[in-house]
Amino acid sequence: MKRSALAIGALACVTVLALSACAPRDEPNPQSSGEVALVDAQPAGTKPVDEVTWAIVEGEPATLNPAASANLIIPNLCDNLLSLQPDFSIQPGIATTAEFVDPTTFVITLRDDVTFWNGDPVTAEDVAYSLRQSTNPASQWYGAFALVDPDPATGITVTGPNEVTVRFVAPDSAFRDALAGQGSAVMQESFGAAAGGAVGTSDVGLMCTGPFELAPGGWKPGSEIETTANPDYWNGTPLVQKLTYSFVSDGPTLTTALTQGDIDGAINVAPSSRTTFEGDGAGTLTVGHSTASYSFGPATAEGPAADPAIRRALSMAIDRQQFLDTVVSGLGYPQKTIVPEFSFQSLDAAATYQAGYDALAAPAVNIEGAKKLVEESGEDVSRPLVLAVPAGARELQQTAAIIQSAGASIGLNITIDAMQASDFGALFYDPSRRDGVDFVATQGYLETPGVLGYPSLFMLPAAQGGVFNWSEYDNPEVTADLMAARTATDAQSAAESFVAAQEIFAPDMLQITLAGSYQLTYLNKELTGVTTSVAAYGSPWALHLGGK
Amino acid sequence: MFRMVAGRLGGLLLTLLLASIVIFSAVLVTGDPISTLAGGAKPTPELIAQIRADYRLDDPVWTRYWLWLTDALHGDFGRSFVYKTDVVSLIGPRFGVTLQLVLLTLAFILVFGVGSGILAATRGRVVDRTVSILTSLGMALPTFVVAILLIWLFAKTLGWFPVFGEGDGFVDRLWHLVLPSVSLAVLFVAYISRITRAALVAQLYSEHVETATVRGIPRGRVFRIHVFRNAAPQILAISGTTVAGLFAASAIAEVAFGIGGVGSLLVEAAARADLPVVQVLSLILVAIFVVLNAVADIIAALIDPSSVAGGVAA
Repeated sequence: MKRSALAIGALACVTVLALSACAPRDEPNPQSSGEVALVDAQPAGTKPVDEVTWAIVEGEPATLNPAASANLIIPNLCDNLLSLQPDFSIQPGIATTAEFVDPTTFVITLRDDVTFWNGDPVTAEDVAYSLRQSTNPASQWYGAFALVDPDPATGITVTGPNEVTVRFVAPDSAFRDALAGQGSAVMQESFGAAAGGAVGTSDVGLMCTGPFELAPGGWKPGSEIETTANPDYWNGTPLVQKLTYSFVSDGPTLTTALTQGDIDGAINVAPSSRTTFEGDGAGTLTVGHSTASYSFGPATAEGPAADPAIRRALSMAIDRQQFLDTVVSGLGYPQKTIVPEFSFQSLDAAATYQAGYDALAAPAVNIEGAKKLVEESGEDVSRPLVLAVPAGARELQQTAAIIQSAGASIGLNITIDAMQASDFGALFYDPSRRDGVDFVATQGYLETPGVLGYPSLFMLPAAQGGVFNWSEYDNPEVTADLMAARTATDAQSAAESFVAAQEIFAPDMLQITLAGSYQLTYLNKELTGVTTSVAAYGSPWALHLGGK
Repeated sequence: MFRMVAGRLGGLLLTLLLASIVIFSAVLVTGDPISTLAGGAKPTPELIAQIRADYRLDDPVWTRYWLWLTDALHGDFGRSFVYKTDVVSLIGPRFGVTLQLVLLTLAFILVFGVGSGILAATRGRVVDRTVSILTSLGMALPTFVVAILLIWLFAKTLGWFPVFGEGDGFVDRLWHLVLPSVSLAVLFVAYISRITRAALVAQLYSEHVETATVRGIPRGRVFRIHVFRNAAPQILAISGTTVAGLFAASAIAEVAFGIGGVGSLLVEAAARADLPVVQVLSLILVAIFVVLNAVADIIAALIDPSSVAGGVAA
């Protein structure tokens, strides 16, 4: 799901430095650089700290409205109904329970002791209002709410003093997991009504319940966002009094500022600075699990790119180890298919998902086999294939160079089109911009647990939600199995349907997955307590930040 | 003199108007702002249509230019697509930072550039050669390379200066701006030094200076009245464009040192296709350029009216 958001958020394309990825939690993948120890949360801080300056490497956010943007600042400001843990498991949050009571009725029961920053108690009306934000097609989280009954009178309703009921048009096995993300961020209804469309802007700000508060004027556009500890936070007061976000999208500038102590920490630091971050006198570089991965896929339904045989051949020509060594400085691992392992580690039927993943073929270099595939495909490969990447995104440009040389080794002539951010972003919603483009390379991550996000977007026919299915891939079995997985009423049958679909779509490589990357967090020596897995996108990662 | 100033002012306004037309239309055709305006959301056809209507993206360029110009004359320069705040309040505080950076850099340039130029012209061969070698080096080093060297030496190795941000309060601000200013100044110091030396040398060997020296006027007085005064208009003219160039070049130093000025804002706004911000900042840069040029000309005319008399008549 985030793959789309990332690509579309024009800036994100250019500045996201290192959204990273995963391996099975307790056994590091033997093919990855063996000495990397994965840590998903640092030990909680013990000493109070007056002020911490944190760098946001993706640059300044366009908005802090949780319905409209995903960034690393919002999770510390606004709580979600369910609480995402560093290991990607889900615990109660503002909701004590949130379960299906029958296949199409989902009941949310709220804690009664949670207040907004201004002291007002959180009511069921506030929660219903917040959830309705995500049913708007303009919301980032619209896809997660696609099966909710669209009738406002019956879809999301208040059914008790601390109870909200969500009714569905069909069962939805992915909904509860999505509530651990910002699609369920709780905002105050009266504040939202007064602010109108300006919720989350620097002028108006927010009214949420999170561990840090954004005071009016706290966001100085173009400069910084200043937040302060919420003394009445329901889950304990933070140790850091003032948490200030500064925006540094220039890699070398950030590396210097971090190692010189001008900035205390950052999430998603550049893997290319690994040696500096691990050098003398520096702070701590923590490597955590992620769902992030690098991949490229077809942007057209015509020609060689739309032919699975050509994609398989390209995949066989690419040396994954070289990719890992050069693009992510060894801080990644080979990933077999589009859905990364960390995304299902904590699901109820994890064993079934894992067995399905393990059964997939591991990528291996086979130049001769690849050449044969190209020959047998009968495709006309005399015309160069165009690969689009965003200009200025260092890792993706290295990726493109690797794909290009792999193509050359099997007789595929690939040219690289480095596009300006806005043009690259337009590829994702304006079909005319994809004219003449054969492949698009991207990097994305999944913010919440669950396996259906990417397959729904890339493998289903467009009419069923496959908005990135540009090669017009249509396999009725895959479609039926994915639909069955989404509308299953128990976790086990959902997993079995998904695995059955994956068995077919994985070899067809609707995305040629290059590697998963880890989440990289750098922190000053004096501090500890940050969530260091990809769960930082959905949970208040600075709640336990403090002095050692 | 009055005619000259009035003429200058008219030319200045005409330049600005033409620049605003060029900038406005150029920025419009370079990028599609929809992805910027949609924020993180996946734009549906309905959302795209709504955004196009809200921001009048389908109106002809001339209509949009006219609306923009009339709003601008009322002090409304539009709202940032990214930050959703009005452009003036976004640029205001950052302009102050860049101005301080430029002023500090200018101080370095005038002291070291003009100073070393005078030394090279007046203190014999050895000094002249040394300054010549140093200025060659200074002109060859790109600003970002100087920035990296300064960070390595004065921040990482010696630990004397901070490497990030613009600081708070006067002293802290000054402290934060020293390294960025020096990295920006190096190129311009070398440039101004050479201009100064050349202008002075041309005067030193001119007839009226030789005559003055032969008449027994003290050396210092000859230099002040006959040499420096005559060379000043040329040095000033170049300094004017230099300062204008500093505003543009500041982007490099601001990015390298993480300073929140207008230079880094322009880089970021361009990358994000934040058109209203790019338009206004580009226009400000053009305005600074033409205004400083005009001011330098006027000051030169005040120092030595004969130097520009011909220019006004033309």
